Amino acid sequence: MDSVFETHSLTKRFDDLVALDKIDLKIRRQSIVGLLGRNGSGKTTLFRHLMGLQLPTEGTVETMGTPAAQLDHDELIRIGFVPQEIRLLDWMTVQQHLRYVSCFYPEWDMDRQKRLQRELELDPTSVVGALSTGNLQKLAIILAVCHHPQLLVLDEPVSNLDPIVRGRLLEFLLEVLQEDQATILVSSHVLRDVEKIVDWVVCLDRGRLVADEGLDELKERFAEWRITSRNGDLPSRFSDTFVLEQDIRGREARLLVDNAQADIETFQVTHHADVTTRPLNLEEMFPLLVSAEGE
Amino acid sequence: MILVVDPHSGIPVYRQLMEQIRFHVASGVLSPGDEIPSTRTLSAKLGVNPMTISKAFALLEEEGVLERRPGLPSVVRKRRDDRLQATRIKQLEEALRPIATKVFQLGLDPEEAVAVLRRLLDTDKR
Repeated sequence: MDSVFETHSLTKRFDDLVALDKIDLKIRRQSIVGLLGRNGSGKTTLFRHLMGLQLPTEGTVETMGTPAAQLDHDELIRIGFVPQEIRLLDWMTVQQHLRYVSCFYPEWDMDRQKRLQRELELDPTSVVGALSTGNLQKLAIILAVCHHPQLLVLDEPVSNLDPIVRGRLLEFLLEVLQEDQATILVSSHVLRDVEKIVDWVVCLDRGRLVADEGLDELKERFAEWRITSRNGDLPSRFSDTFVLEQDIRGREARLLVDNAQADIETFQVTHHADVTTRPLNLEEMFPLLVSAEGE
Repeated sequence: MILVVDPHSGIPVYRQLMEQIRFHVASGVLSPGDEIPSTRTLSAKLGVNPMTISKAFALLEEEGVLERRPGLPSVVRKRRDDRLQATRIKQLEEALRPIATKVFQLGLDPEEAVAVLRRLLDTDKR
């Protein structure tokens, strides 16, 4: 089994709304995958299917080699999940809650728990019901990783954490990847964080899969071209199919291009122009992957 | 040897690493036989995915810059002097490419541009 999560033509409909539209996905073992998409694109729904919390309208979902609907003790004990909406037992203290959850796992790593409490700065005596959103996220993360999961699923885990704690969490995830040889799936709007640690990017747009590619390949695919004409004005519009966006001002232009089909040499000769290229980072290419219109 | 990566530059991190290691070898900071930190160490130090680092190492091995040894740290390979000189020239060419474009854009005569470079080189000799 070289994939930990696999879907075939996964479709989920809520009445008229198509939340997931024929998703074919295969998540390779021992990698960190970033799940990207705008609000309402289907990220949380996809995660819920992975965990067997929702069942597909059509198609199949397999998690760790088992149909997600039949996930049982043997699989669940190897999965860690931090949902977007965290519901814990409000009346316990942090310490009590940690002890309570640890009882369910024979492999609970007390050293890791203590270290994370310290690094993420979470007070064990606080009452769970009184925790801020950020601190609740920290607790949910600690609860999800101390049993050394083989598959760790994090739905927007960093949205309410400060930059210092976020940095420590990212470092910790890299460590989990190596130490536990785990597979980590993380959804986030904080693209700068995602870019730092992921090796693979999956992007959803209105329930459709619009990217399923290595981060390096994506970076090599999209670029910005600064163009200067050698003689006279540039055309008012470039019709080449690899041009995704264009801004032309007389002799100068700025284009966003898909390198896969672009050929600079030919372009320079055809348009009597010089081209300087700059690759795009994840934040800059994200709008090119998803549609600009709202939900 | 100091390695610095910018994960937010559009240049894939593995390429940034390759370029810096190539430069360190070409400039003599790294000599043949020198050990390179392990994937694990670099991953923790730079805060980047270990796969990215092993990808850079694998490609540098293909290029003949590094030698990976199972269970041992990778080392810098010995290269013939003419090969080393060729990579130095290539690196300089890459660095000057955007400058060449700028020369065109400014409408400067190539001879003038070369004169500027020569002057800078002389100044830097001191």
